[in-house]
Amino acid sequence: MSLAKPAMRGLLAKRLRFHLPIAFALSLVAAAAFKYAVTEPRKQAYADFYKQYDAMKEFNAMKEAGVFQSVRPSGE
Amino acid sequence: MAHPTQLGFQDAASPVMEELLHFHDHALMIVFLISTLVLYIIIAMVSTKLTNKYILDSQEIEIVWTVLPAVILVLIALPSLRILYLMDEINDPHLTIKAMGHQWYWSYEYTDYEDLGFDSYMIPTQDLTPGQFRLLETDHRMVVPMESPVRVLVSAEDVLHSWAVPSLGVKMDAVPGRLNQTAFIASRPGVFYGQCSEICGANHSFMPIVVEAVPLEHFESWSSLMLEDA
Repeated sequence: MSLAKPAMRGLLAKRLRFHLPIAFALSLVAAAAFKYAVTEPRKQAYADFYKQYDAMKEFNAMKEAGVFQSVRPSGE
Repeated sequence: MAHPTQLGFQDAASPVMEELLHFHDHALMIVFLISTLVLYIIIAMVSTKLTNKYILDSQEIEIVWTVLPAVILVLIALPSLRILYLMDEINDPHLTIKAMGHQWYWSYEYTDYEDLGFDSYMIPTQDLTPGQFRLLETDHRMVVPMESPVRVLVSAEDVLHSWAVPSLGVKMDAVPGRLNQTAFIASRPGVFYGQCSEICGANHSFMPIVVEAVPLEHFESWSSLMLEDA
């Protein structure tokens, strides 16, 4: 009984053909993960913060807490 | 201000800094994309004994790994240039302040209407009151009206300094004999900290910058009070 001749050439190319698509796919997944886990939530967080932001209310709260040097709390 | 173990930028307090934040996220996403690809390929290549001694021509892959990086660079360059030009727009500032760097303090001049000027020295650590930040507080803060475009003209009286406030997205070199211009809008009221960003001698680390953004009427009261005290 004779054995089949094993593959003797193109072994690295075969390995590359297997691994390169996985490499590209993984890198796209990493980019997408960063985009949807960090970039988009950050944009949304800023949008949400300023949507309901009342500058005068926040200013008065900070003023009463004594944060400012130019404006002191009402009691002082 | 920054907090211990902080890795990212401080929260943005101006529209320009928000744009810079989002651009940084975009660029970092591309960095992770390329790094993941390269790391995977490195691991795949070092974990095999297979080699190819006869790599010749390979037009297709050469075209791919020339065009793809060019496309990635364009994807980075377009938003980058957009923000660059955005930062250069000086949209009719309501106020101009001169920030002069000295060894080792800043002085601020508000000369639009009256002649108001004062020095801004760091508060030494032993003189801090509870709640104040070490090496960041100053005796006199640069007060600005919030939600108003402010132009800052930066220069120096002796050596190079640099006027920087990270949360406002501003940094401008203070060069003796030169007047540099920058501008910002404080999106919200608050206190924003920065530090001298150009080595200028022994106390380079001890000449911080504090910008206080308050509503216009309070800014006007403050400037009247400062003029009376002068």
